[in-house]
Amino acid sequence: MGMIEISDLSVLRGSNKVLDGFSLTVNEGEVVCLAGENGCGKSTVIEAAAGLISLENGTSRISGQLIRDSEGRRGRTKFGLCLQDDCVMGDELVGERIMDAAEFNFDVSAFLDDWNLKHRTHDRIAVLSGGQRRKVAVMSGIIPALVSKEPVAVLLDEPDSGLDSNSIEHLSQCLRNLAAGGHAILIASHEPKIIDSADRVVYFPFDEEKNTPPAGKFEQVKTISQRKPMVGHRLNLRTLSGFANNGIAGLLTLGAMIALFDAPNLDGRTQLGFIMAPALAAGLCGNPINRLLMENRSHAWWITKSGILPNSIFHSLILYILLTLLSSITTDYTDMTVILVGGILGIFTEITMAIMTQATLRLSRPNAVIIKLLTPILILPWAIVVDNLAT
Amino acid sequence: MNIKGEVVVLVGLAGAGFTLCLAFLWVPSVSTVAFSSPESQRIFYWHVPSAWAAMMANAMLFVGSTVWFFKRRDWAWRLHVASSEAALATGLMVIWSGCIWGSAEWGVPWDWTDVRLNTFAMLTLLSLFIVLGRRTQPDGVETRDTFCTFGMYGFILVPFTYISTRLWQIRHPGPVMATSKGSIDWDMRIVLYCGALSFLAIITGYIISGMRLAQLEMRLEKIQAKYDEVVE
Repeated sequence: MGMIEISDLSVLRGSNKVLDGFSLTVNEGEVVCLAGENGCGKSTVIEAAAGLISLENGTSRISGQLIRDSEGRRGRTKFGLCLQDDCVMGDELVGERIMDAAEFNFDVSAFLDDWNLKHRTHDRIAVLSGGQRRKVAVMSGIIPALVSKEPVAVLLDEPDSGLDSNSIEHLSQCLRNLAAGGHAILIASHEPKIIDSADRVVYFPFDEEKNTPPAGKFEQVKTISQRKPMVGHRLNLRTLSGFANNGIAGLLTLGAMIALFDAPNLDGRTQLGFIMAPALAAGLCGNPINRLLMENRSHAWWITKSGILPNSIFHSLILYILLTLLSSITTDYTDMTVILVGGILGIFTEITMAIMTQATLRLSRPNAVIIKLLTPILILPWAIVVDNLAT
Repeated sequence: MNIKGEVVVLVGLAGAGFTLCLAFLWVPSVSTVAFSSPESQRIFYWHVPSAWAAMMANAMLFVGSTVWFFKRRDWAWRLHVASSEAALATGLMVIWSGCIWGSAEWGVPWDWTDVRLNTFAMLTLLSLFIVLGRRTQPDGVETRDTFCTFGMYGFILVPFTYISTRLWQIRHPGPVMATSKGSIDWDMRIVLYCGALSFLAIITGYIISGMRLAQLEMRLEKIQAKYDEVVE
């Protein structure tokens, strides 16, 4: 059984059937390169293998684990991935991103040195040049294999685009070294050096050629400890995105209501509505990390790592509780239950917004969809909570 | 030229106009004891039939979405397109007529704590989201799958809306036809049925012509794609 197994794959993209009954197996210690003209389906194979696109027919398996099939079943296993988009968020630090991809803490500067990026270890990815950012994306793709004792699958989609010739040379050597360590690599590329480093080349549509590339030498990167990413919370602290988006919306709502109403003299339902409104308004802005994840299609890369996208849910809970506490103070009515309910209501609103946003991510223009149109769906639960608390 | 759909819509519109005439000129007024604004109650003969029509359009949207999602039939996508537009049109009809009636009867056009009002508004917003959202995307399997998912899940709101006045009657009145508490007067019922048939004709005609239009759009897109190949 191969490490990467794609069988009988049929995929529709737009109105076109890009793949029809395509099968491919990549074995341990093998580098398979997909080559062919633009639009022939190379990226579709990589994304289908990674489980990122829905399949009309067929299955994708990695390390024996089902990743996705046409019935909609999905699974997850550890593998390396570099897509055509860089899939990096501008506010991630270079070293941090590589360790998050590896899921281990290790001496990242030595690894970055190999790619001439040691001096950028603590820099935000946003300040890198396009080529440097591509290197980070490529390193994120290969690092899960480099730190693993067991063979790992690596999927790379045109990793060489935007890289200088030295880096391409280094990448092709890396591929041979990974193969020597028993890892299975599926790579899409037009670059002759990369094609030459593959054991097999699949030319679309469809011809196969075998190569005899030089053998590499695998050296496992020594790890220090398992890494719990907590990416969302880390990014939220760094960017204060939660405060800037949700917090300001909540505070503005509170300010507007203070201007309109005589806050200390409200009673019953109106008073509770007043107290709960800032948390609702803040929650309607959605999870702040979701916005960051839209950058360079980062969400697609993260979804292969974990079923739940990075988020800052605990920070949000604290924010909503604080907003409810603040509005409670302005009405001279502080009740712990009400404050806690305000926090939970804000979180519920935020999660619902996140689910609605994620439901549109498969679209070719997800940002063009006005998801906010569906937000009134959250006013009813808010009104019911307020009504129940008042009675 | 195939104009069956348009003819059915015109018949429906004529019927809706006739219903309005009957509502204002023929049907007896309701009791001043039960209603604080009896004259505004006449909007009921458009409000309720358009709500039934909206429910049917949403049911069609569900059928179209589900069949496309699981069977990938082109007719199902066309049904999804046409019925979402019909659901939006009838939904907006229900909401504005309800707001007018509510203003006169309750003194407020809207109540955010009334479950029926809100669930119905959600249904209409969902159709608005589907109609507007679809226009922002190129046609393709990703677009179709995504909006059909919303069409399928959104249908949960239909039974929820239906039972809402039975379980949580807040402001919106409960059912008036064939309930354990009795039914409305026959004169009123005739006008209501007339309205129901008219609105049914409107959405049926709209869905027929909408599906044809969607088919023409799809044909045009295929022809353009072929033309692109020739040009390239």
